[in-house]
Amino acid sequence: MNIKCEERDRIFEDGTPAEWAALEAHSANCAVCAEELRAWKAVSVAAKELRDYSDAPSLWPRIERALTAEAAVKKHRAERWGWLTLGFGLSLGWQTAAVAAMVLILTVSTGWVYLHRAGRGPGGDRDQSLLKSPALAEVERAQAAYEQAIDKLAADAKTQLENPATPLQASYREKLLVLDSAINDLRAQTGMNPSNAHLRQELLAMYQEKQQTLQDILEEKR
Amino acid sequence: MGTMGLALPWEARLSSVPREREMRVEPSEDLPGRPSQTVAPAATTAAAAEDAELAERCRAGDLGGYERLYELHGRRMKNVARNLLGSPIDAEDAVQETFLKVQRSITGFRGQSSFVTWTYRILINTCYDARRSRVRKKEVANDDTEESPGLEPRAPGAHPSLRMALERALAGLTKHQRDVFLLYEVEGFHHAEIAGMLEITETASKNTLFQAKRNLRQVLEPPRGNSAAGPR
Repeated sequence: MNIKCEERDRIFEDGTPAEWAALEAHSANCAVCAEELRAWKAVSVAAKELRDYSDAPSLWPRIERALTAEAAVKKHRAERWGWLTLGFGLSLGWQTAAVAAMVLILTVSTGWVYLHRAGRGPGGDRDQSLLKSPALAEVERAQAAYEQAIDKLAADAKTQLENPATPLQASYREKLLVLDSAINDLRAQTGMNPSNAHLRQELLAMYQEKQQTLQDILEEKR
Repeated sequence: MGTMGLALPWEARLSSVPREREMRVEPSEDLPGRPSQTVAPAATTAAAAEDAELAERCRAGDLGGYERLYELHGRRMKNVARNLLGSPIDAEDAVQETFLKVQRSITGFRGQSSFVTWTYRILINTCYDARRSRVRKKEVANDDTEESPGLEPRAPGAHPSLRMALERALAGLTKHQRDVFLLYEVEGFHHAEIAGMLEITETASKNTLFQAKRNLRQVLEPPRGNSAAGPR
């Protein structure tokens, strides 16, 4: 296979093994291509300098603890709401009947609510679980201010968090990681559903927990 | 959610990376925890089976499954995060967060890409989230404290000056070019795997790598005598 200098870049981008071999052969007689090929490979060689697969002995135990803690929380939640699964040892037929009954009750009650609210007109009582735009803007402003205040607290506690001197501080750090993760999830959910007051309340609860944890860290520092 | 945006169009997904592994042409090294590139079909089938088994164990809540995932990929995951975030502490946090997200979302994993590729995709998205959050925090912290960010120390390599020069040169690339370069050249992933992780096409991955290397080539003139590696 004969290669021309103009084909060099295309081979660099998406050349086959045969084309690479042909380019190597061509470079034996072309100083420009030889230099370009050398420099191209040298970048790849240099990239290996960024490989650091050194062991982090404390990382897996940390992950293991976090996974176990989260699994326990999940299990606890499942137990708390387990009755909703209708798994009281009932047969499939009874479970189906119970679900059908619940659907019927929901349909009737929704219809009742709809009919009674329809008569109140546009100015009637609105669903309080959905935040309307002026209230939503206010909540978002308050939330942003609260986030900034917590970020300042986090900045104060940064030294202890980055270099935990005691097992308690290490444990606080892990707790904050779990809280941050939950906050990020909730923020993403509220981003998709900004008017959901229930999500906002959950997010607020998480922020309060984070604030408390950061205050505990700063208290311990004193 | 943190793991949202992981869904890929069907055509862009890897049905199973080890089975569809493309030939890597440029020089590369085999890494722990991944099959060789010139691997026999039986070995790729075994790797695919191991991947599926790993996913199944994690789905079942078997902590041993997560431990195995960590044994095979933990160090590489940390290195990916370290290079994306610039700090070993942030990298460890990102790896831990990734494992938690895998545990939370494993029931939604349908096997349309390999489990490991899916895990790395979560890791990369977690690093993106961390980067965004860090920028936001820095804006707040700048109000009262001034700190020098800079890259934190890492294990010394054979050519520390070369590494530093490369890190500086990488900072001049676009985020996308830097990510593709790091995943391909540093971590040794294939374009099909990178496409799955970054939710782009293989062609886009190849083109982005080419642009990244061309830009680096202009900034970084590596020392002569390092061209020992032949075509791969």
